[in-house]
Amino acid sequence: MLVALLAIAVGATILSGLVTIYIDVPRQMGAEFRNYGANMIFMASSNDAVFDEAAVQEGLALIQSGQLVGVAPYRYETVRIHEQPVVAAGTDLTEVQTTSPYWMIEGDWGTSEGDLMVGRNIAESLNLHVGDLVNVMGPTEENEEDQLNFGEDMKLTGIVETGGKEEDYIYMSMADLEKLVGEGELDVAELSVSAGSDELNGYVEKITEEVDSITPRLVKRVTQSESTVLSKLQALVFLVTAVVLVLTMICVATTMTAVVAERRKEIGLRKALGASDSSIIREFMGEGLLLGGVGGIVGSVLGFVFAQYVSVRVFASSIRYQPLLLPITILVSILITGLACLVPVRNATTIDPALVLKGE
Amino acid sequence: MSLLELKGISKIYGDLKALDNINLSVENGEWVAIMGPSGSGKSTMMNIIGCMDKPSKGEVLLDGVDIAKESAKNLTAIRRDKIGLIFQQFHLVNYLTAVENVMVAQYYHSIPDEKEAMEALARVGLAERARHLPSQLSGGEQQRVCIARALINHPEIVLADEPTGNLDEANENIVLDLFHQLHEEHTTLIVVTHDPEVAEVAQRTITLEHGRIKSDKINENFGK
Repeated sequence: MLVALLAIAVGATILSGLVTIYIDVPRQMGAEFRNYGANMIFMASSNDAVFDEAAVQEGLALIQSGQLVGVAPYRYETVRIHEQPVVAAGTDLTEVQTTSPYWMIEGDWGTSEGDLMVGRNIAESLNLHVGDLVNVMGPTEENEEDQLNFGEDMKLTGIVETGGKEEDYIYMSMADLEKLVGEGELDVAELSVSAGSDELNGYVEKITEEVDSITPRLVKRVTQSESTVLSKLQALVFLVTAVVLVLTMICVATTMTAVVAERRKEIGLRKALGASDSSIIREFMGEGLLLGGVGGIVGSVLGFVFAQYVSVRVFASSIRYQPLLLPITILVSILITGLACLVPVRNATTIDPALVLKGE
Repeated sequence: MSLLELKGISKIYGDLKALDNINLSVENGEWVAIMGPSGSGKSTMMNIIGCMDKPSKGEVLLDGVDIAKESAKNLTAIRRDKIGLIFQQFHLVNYLTAVENVMVAQYYHSIPDEKEAMEALARVGLAERARHLPSQLSGGEQQRVCIARALINHPEIVLADEPTGNLDEANENIVLDLFHQLHEEHTTLIVVTHDPEVAEVAQRTITLEHGRIKSDKINENFGK
């Protein structure tokens, strides 16, 4: 019986642990995938549409609070450094840290007005270094024709390395860009949203319908990778859980068969004393179901510990407790044990009471 | 009307006739010993009287009801309500105490009543050993627990299969004294035994041979 209890407890542990991971994996993986950058962008819906901070906020209001990891608006304008034209991105550099956490920065992130960050390619071509005071030139309203006279001295706080096109831009706060080129509309807003692909698609549809000035789009390479990895991982978890449950059932059935064989004489005696088949079924099934219940309780507790361990080791974050899993694990354990007991208990009812008179 | 009547019963296994046209009546309160060598049909007869088997032919009337025609479910109920079984190897449940072993029979019959079970143990002289496990009891004590269990539901017939087969002389005498008490209380006793001394103390001895009744005699010394 101890073996059966152990088998049920182990099965329930794997069931509870893997289902906890199965449920929590989208959140965990979502957080992991947020490290690979924004997964949604807002763009102007048409040339006539007003795409500004207010429009972005209108779109953000439709995203469930808590799911928005970060949002970085971008406005691109051409400015000059050392007489060379470069594309400047005005943005919120604090938010960029959340939407593009994969950026490698030599130096520091610029966080206040007057701070400048430049891409690695720009830094090399213009021979710029961290700590330099860089004169950035832009057009002025007074002198629009040569567009070279107005300038701001900005402190280069960091050089951006991504291995991609981000290295071809310079970055500053939106306020600094407005000082250089005047007010204007946004070109794009990058969002990092912690949600599954279905939910993201839902947001895209909703924002398209309700906010006229914005066209939201998903960054397919991120959302599709996330969706593919998740579905494969969940399928694997499901498969392992199913195999473990079948193995548990086989183990319990084998143990119960052995228990019935071991107690054959006792069962014969009970039948000789007048136990009906239904009494024998009740007693053995009751024992089995009790084992299932106890194993389920033990397993659901150990399962959470197991899931927590896996989560910390794999995702480096703790897992959320799923209260419903306790009754579900207990019920499934009882069900599995009940199924496993069917054949052994049926065998118990076929034992001949006369064997006790045969001196066996 | 006799309490138990076997009318022309036979039990046939292939070519083997374990019982061959047995006719036997046992009156209420009678003490009958059944003797015979191995293979004579004693166990088969016990199984049929104990509602654990059915004859191939004939009628088995217990209280006027032909149990040969009853379903397995009804036979279980008859066994539970009307028959008390005593075994050579005692067959106590090894993880239950003496009193719990007695209560097992109550459990299947009606409702376990510890007080009544204790009284049954006191009757066989084991009140002090009620909380002991079978492994802590001697063979004679285990057999007395078995007797208390057989009697707890006030059966109409007590069937004993070699009840003294595993006991020393002192314990054999204790068990036979208990049988005397039961007989005086008009309990019907059917005892299968190899031991002529056990058969001699019964009121009537039936000897089986090759599935037939070889002799059926009243013991003249009974009660003396």
